[in-house]
Amino acid sequence: MTDTELATPSGSKKSRAERLSTIRKAWPWFFLILMVVVFAIISKNANNVNFLNYRSVQGILVYATQILLIGLAETIIIISGNGGIDLSVHYSLGLAAVVAAFVMRAMFAASLPPVLTIGTGFLAGILICIIPGWVNGTLVAKVKVPPFISTLGMGYVVYGIALLLSRGQAIADQPDYLAQIGNGNLLYYWPKHGFTFFKVPAGAAPADLQQIIPLIPNVVAITLLVTIAVWFILAKTQFGQHIYAIGGNIQASIRSGIPVASTLTRAYILAAILAGIAGVIWTARFTSGASNAGEPTLLFAIAAVVIGGTSMFGGEGSVVGTVIGALIIATIQYGLVVLGQQPYWQYVTVGVVVIIAVIVDQLGRALEHS
Amino acid sequence: MEPILRAVNLTKKFGGLVAVDNVSFDVSPGEVIGLVGDNGAGKSTFIKMISGVYQPDGGEIFFNGKKVSFADPRDARDQGIETIYQDLALAENLDVGANIFLGRELKKKFFSEFISRILFSAVLGLPLAVLFAWAAFHFFQWPGLLLGMLTGLGLGSVLGWLFACVTQLVDRRKMAGESAGALKRLDIEIPSLTQQVRNLSGGQRQSVAIARSIYWNARMMIMDEPTAALGVSEQRKVLTLVRTLASQGVPVIIISHNMQDVFAVADRIVILRRGKKVGEQIAAKTTPDKIVSLMVGAETVHKMGVIPRALENNGSAKV
Ligand SMILES: Nc1ncnc2c1ncn2[C@@H]1O[C@H](COP(=O)(O)OP(=O)(O)O)[C@@H](O)[C@H]1O
Ligand SMILES: [Mg+2]
Repeated sequence: MTDTELATPSGSKKSRAERLSTIRKAWPWFFLILMVVVFAIISKNANNVNFLNYRSVQGILVYATQILLIGLAETIIIISGNGGIDLSVHYSLGLAAVVAAFVMRAMFAASLPPVLTIGTGFLAGILICIIPGWVNGTLVAKVKVPPFISTLGMGYVVYGIALLLSRGQAIADQPDYLAQIGNGNLLYYWPKHGFTFFKVPAGAAPADLQQIIPLIPNVVAITLLVTIAVWFILAKTQFGQHIYAIGGNIQASIRSGIPVASTLTRAYILAAILAGIAGVIWTARFTSGASNAGEPTLLFAIAAVVIGGTSMFGGEGSVVGTVIGALIIATIQYGLVVLGQQPYWQYVTVGVVVIIAVIVDQLGRALEHS
Repeated sequence: MEPILRAVNLTKKFGGLVAVDNVSFDVSPGEVIGLVGDNGAGKSTFIKMISGVYQPDGGEIFFNGKKVSFADPRDARDQGIETIYQDLALAENLDVGANIFLGRELKKKFFSEFISRILFSAVLGLPLAVLFAWAAFHFFQWPGLLLGMLTGLGLGSVLGWLFACVTQLVDRRKMAGESAGALKRLDIEIPSLTQQVRNLSGGQRQSVAIARSIYWNARMMIMDEPTAALGVSEQRKVLTLVRTLASQGVPVIIISHNMQDVFAVADRIVILRRGKKVGEQIAAKTTPDKIVSLMVGAETVHKMGVIPRALENNGSAKV
C-alpha cells in the first residue's frame, strides 16, 4: 500500500474489496431466481404444469420452514466460530415433538380446554430444549469441549431420551384442532365473497371449497416471525454483535471484556429453542410426535447455511443468507416433486449446489484479497 | 516534569532464570522511550510487568505518583496503561467502529440490561406460571399447582436472561461517528470505515488498535515491535502516529529491533542485556553504533557516564 492510497479521503467511496464482497453475497439470490426459472420452463415443457403459481410458492415455503428453523439455529452457532456447529438440534427437534405430543395427548384425553392444551403442549416442547441447549453451551464455553464432539454426544443423549419417552413410536391421539393449526392458514380468500381469518368461510358448501384460496399457511407465518426475531437479535443487538466478535477473534473478545462464556451458552440455548419451535410445528403438521422427526433436516439445514454464504470459520454470515439457502433447497425438493422425478434426486442436486456455493465463495474471497 | 511511570528495581524470575534483573526507569509525559536489546534480553518480560501480564518478583511500580500493582492486564488497562501487542486484538471480520468499541459497544438507551432482564422475567414468567400451574393442577392437584407455578417462574427467569438482549441495541451510527472523530484527532486516514478490518493494510490496522486505546483514555502506551510486519511507508506512518501520541501528552514505550525506527521516534533509549539494564541514552546525543555495542556488551553503562534517575534515588541498585 502506498502513501497516496493511504491518503485517500475518508468518505463513502467503497473499496474494490467491498464491492466484490457485495457481489459475492448477492449470488444466492441469482441462484434462487435461476432455479425457479429453470423449474418453470422444464415443468411447462415436460408436464405442461404451471410452476409459477401461488400453490407452488406456498408449497415451497412450507417445505422450507423446517430447514429454515434448524438453519437459523446453525447460523447462530456457526457464526460464533471456533469450530462452532450444533449436531444435536435435529434431535432436540424430535424431543420437542415428542414432549409436546405427550403433553397434549394427556391433556386432550382429560378433555381440558383447547387453549390450555395447545399452550402447555407447545411451551413444554419448546422449553424442554433449554436443557440440551444449556448443556451444549456449558460444555463448549466452560468445559471447552470442541462443539463437534459435545453436540454430537448431546445429540445422542437427547435422541435416546426422546426414544425412551415415546417408546420408539409415534405419539398419536392428538386433539383434532391441532391439525387446524399445523395445516391451516392465516387467511382464506373466497373470490366474490371476501377474506376470512383462520377458517374456511362458514357458508361454503363442499363444492365451493375448490374456489377458496388458502393464503399464508400458519406454519409459514410462525416461521416468518421467528426468522425476523433471529435476524433482529443477530443484526441489531449487542448480544448479536458479540457473537460475530467471538467468531472473528475469540482472544480479542476475551481481552476486550466480552462475556464470552455466557454469550456462547445463550447462543446454544437459543439454537435449541429454535429446534424446539421446529419440533412443535412438526407435531402440529403431522398431528403426532416422533423422536426421529428431525432426522433428515440437519444436513439440509447446514447446507442452507453454507449456500447462504455463512462462513464455516465463523464471524461471517446472515439470517437473510440462510433464508435464501433454505428457499433454494425447498425449491429443489418441491420442484422435483412437481416434475414427478424420483425424490432421491434432491440429495444429488443439493449436494452439487452446496459445492458450487463453496467454490463461488472461495473464488470471491480470493479475488477480494488479491 | 513529574514522571507518569516509575519502575523501580523490577525483577522477574522464571525458575532459575532471571529474565529481568533490577531494572528501573522513568517515563515522563509526552516522551517516547525506545526499549532495545538482543533477543531474550528481557524486553517483553519487562513490559509485561508494567502491563499487568506478570507480577514482578521484586521491585515497585509507581503510576501517577501512586504505588500500583496490577492484578491482570485489564486492571492495568483500566488504570490507563495500554499495550498493543503484535496481534493487535482486532476482530478482522468487523468494521473499524465495531473494533474501536469492541466489548464496550455504544447502545441506544432504553433501559439497562438488568432492568430488561427483570421485566422479561416477569412478563414471560407470570403467564407461564399460571399456565403450568393450571395444567399441572388438573393432574396432580395442589403439589402440581405449586410445581407448575415454580417451573413457570423458573423458566421465566431463564427466558428473561436469554431475551433481555433484545432491548440492548448497538448504535452503529454513533460508533462510526465517534470512531471517525478518534481517528481524526490522531491524523489517521482510513478510506472506508464501513469495511472489514481484514481489508485494511497492516499500518491501518495498527492505527485502529492505537486509536481504540486512545479513545478509551490510555495515559501511557506500550508497543511491542509495532513495525515488524510492515512495509517501509507503513512503518513511517506508524512512527508518525507514535510522535503524534507523544505530542498529545501520551508517553509511549516502544520495543524495536530496528535502530532506524528507534532513532526516528525515541527521546530516550533504554538498553537491556541479559535481563539487566546496561544503559540509558538521550537519542539526540548518541549513535546507533553505541546502542548496538551496549546491546551486545562491548561497552558498559559506566563508561557512558549516564546514571538513570531511578537508580540515583536508589543507591542499592547494582548495574
Ligand atoms: N513465560 C516464560 N517462562 C520461562 N521463561 C521465559 C518466559 N518468558 C520469557 N522467558 C525467558 O526470559 C528471557 C527474556 O525473554 P523476553 O522477555 O521474551 O526477551 P525479549 O523480549 O527481549 O526477546 C528469555 O531467556 C526467555 O526465554
Ligand atoms: Mg520479545
